[in-house]
Amino acid sequence: MKRLALTLLLASSLTAVPLMAADDKNASDPTAVYRTQWHKDILAGYQSLATQSQALETQAQTYCQSPSSEELEQTKRLWLDAFLAWQQVRFIDFGPVEENNRAWQFQFWPDPKNLVARKASYLLKNEAPITPEKIAQSGVAVQGFPMVEYLLYDQTFNSSENALPAGRSCELLAAVTRHIARNGETLATDWKGFQGNYLGSEQYTDTTIRAAMAGLEILEERRLATPMGLRGNGKRSVYSADAWRSGASLIAADASVQGLKKHFMPAFSKLLNDREQTDLAKRIEQQFEEVLANFPELDRPMAPLLSDDNAFKPLQSLYIDLTQLTALVNDRAAVELEVVRGFNSSDGD
Amino acid sequence: MKTLFRPAPLALTIAAAMSAGCANTATSDSATSQPATKASVVEHYANLAHAGYEDALITAKALDKATDQLIANPTEANLQAAKEAWLAARVPYQQTEVFRFGNAIVDDWEGQLNAWPLDEGLIDYVQADDYQYELGNAGATANIIANNSVNVGGETLDVTNLTPELLANLNEVGGSEANVATGYHAIEFLLWGQDLNGFEQGNGERPVTDYAKGTGCTNGNCERRAEYLDAVTDLLVSDLEWMANQWAANGSENYRSQLLSANADEGVQKMLFGMGSLSLGELAGERMKVALEANSYEDEHDCFSDNTHNSHYYNAQGIQNVYTGSYRRVDGSLVSGPSLSDLVSQSNPKLDARLNSQLDASMEALSVMKAKAEASQSPMPFDMMIAPGNAKGASIVNGAIMALVEQTGSIEQAARQLGLEALSLDDAGHTF
Repeated sequence: MKRLALTLLLASSLTAVPLMAADDKNASDPTAVYRTQWHKDILAGYQSLATQSQALETQAQTYCQSPSSEELEQTKRLWLDAFLAWQQVRFIDFGPVEENNRAWQFQFWPDPKNLVARKASYLLKNEAPITPEKIAQSGVAVQGFPMVEYLLYDQTFNSSENALPAGRSCELLAAVTRHIARNGETLATDWKGFQGNYLGSEQYTDTTIRAAMAGLEILEERRLATPMGLRGNGKRSVYSADAWRSGASLIAADASVQGLKKHFMPAFSKLLNDREQTDLAKRIEQQFEEVLANFPELDRPMAPLLSDDNAFKPLQSLYIDLTQLTALVNDRAAVELEVVRGFNSSDGD
Repeated sequence: MKTLFRPAPLALTIAAAMSAGCANTATSDSATSQPATKASVVEHYANLAHAGYEDALITAKALDKATDQLIANPTEANLQAAKEAWLAARVPYQQTEVFRFGNAIVDDWEGQLNAWPLDEGLIDYVQADDYQYELGNAGATANIIANNSVNVGGETLDVTNLTPELLANLNEVGGSEANVATGYHAIEFLLWGQDLNGFEQGNGERPVTDYAKGTGCTNGNCERRAEYLDAVTDLLVSDLEWMANQWAANGSENYRSQLLSANADEGVQKMLFGMGSLSLGELAGERMKVALEANSYEDEHDCFSDNTHNSHYYNAQGIQNVYTGSYRRVDGSLVSGPSLSDLVSQSNPKLDARLNSQLDASMEALSVMKAKAEASQSPMPFDMMIAPGNAKGASIVNGAIMALVEQTGSIEQAARQLGLEALSLDDAGHTF
């Protein structure tokens, strides 16, 4: 059960094929109105990702031209802003983000074998210049936020002779942030171009709901339960959380929930209300607030919370609130709306 | 039955032709030619599983014998024979992986046999500068062979006597899934050794003198290494014995009897779920796409032996077996009977034809991978296919991924066709 994000990516590429298009001649499309809203809300999220990624690229250049501890701190801040912008739209697992594995390009995760370190050392040892082409060919473990996080935060790396602002490491930093910025820009543009397709095809209503369901499930199972030791062998391990190097695992979870609230919930609430599920809509909205009430208190590194049973308690509260939210959306609402999950929603290794 | 006309892989065709003269009878439980029912299809599924695990057991026994021979007499020829026995043992086993998803009894058991990736430094010596273990794994460099006691995450374990039970209990020691002390991949490591070639040609190059007696011993602890190999192959045999019994027709208290006494819809659902899950999440996803997109040979399935292409190939074959209700045994005989294909064709022949041709297409795509990996002229094993910038390799792997993704779409449709939609909705996140 390692890389759920992947299974779902593959699964949604299946569902994008009109499998059940038996009555797609139906001229009236009662759900187009929700997709109109979703398209607009998701576009706002993608645009924010593009803007923040651009800012990160610019800052990385500034830092490498005249390195200082202030500029390094600023680079870290802008890395976090851009990373959190990604967390907000991370649940979208269909459409342009599927092309060329863009989701993995932004964030290859989980990475239990520490590929990111291995790839970094390989690129830094090598003599060949770190060009955009080189980055494009180097695989998803090189191309996204985790690589930048590694360069900025990894303790072993930062006590090595390659630590920033060493020349070659700066080259890598610049090239990867550039790659992220290009991807952010292309994604926003492509999402705009995807509008006709998205609005014109009714199956994307279910696809969008399934994406949110999967996003919640990944958050609950992979991003919280697994590092908390609630799954599998019961061992708590921060290494199975995302962004453990920067201590941003939980603030990233916060951002993902906010992202669902902002970019998914408006149209979804409307849909539930129109189907006379006003109580359920209200309960889901309230549960979002319950989850978010754990923050900003919990916007802190996860590792210390795992090593101390007292400190662990607020983490448990967050987890419980989140399971309740997942149950409401993935069980209750999905059943009411007859949204069927595809293969592999929860299986795996 | 149209599936009989599908070209079998060359090696199997030969095996079948050779054994045809030996009064070899095909097992068939469809002789009565009654139309297939869900109940008869599920029953035959259990027969397929039983035949598969029995073959896995037969070939594991051969492997056990070959490794005993190697231990008694460590020569190049005996090492080679042991490697060949390992490769042969993978053929039936990989075809049984389709039974894993959906049948909890298999899924709970299989880790001891087939867990991967493993941090091999738990077992034996590794070259440290080319060894990347799982983050936070306290047992990753424990080296059981070199030590009579190991300390994993503050816990000291006595490993003086390398018995099958001890090794089984060492799995996931220290709470890390990468601590795999037993199974096919542990044996593979003990025979081949670490693959230090990265994306280049070549696999592990363990010298046979790692098992030499007396002063000829290389890398130390040859005797304990031999004990380890002995214990771990014995364990493989007894594990497979247990699983074959679970599917045997004569056991009244086994898993087969549970499965057959449950609602047939449940059994059919397990079949389709197993096919779809192996197809999409596990094979196309974990085992190919991750490795390809991250250019990660750490995610290569049979990394020590470079036999990954065969692992994939026989996984896909297992999926096809379940749908067509047929399985070519290692002795060349054919097991066939009422199938999902029969069931689907009763109500939707078009869907059945499409899914059959998609399963064929997947086998074809994986045959390309297998052929390229085993080519006599400039072979390209899986770890070379996934190297950065290898466009040809990437297109072979992608071809296989796409074929598997497409067939999964039809598997989902077949589930709907057989009225299992409601089941999959209710069970989302639970028995699945």
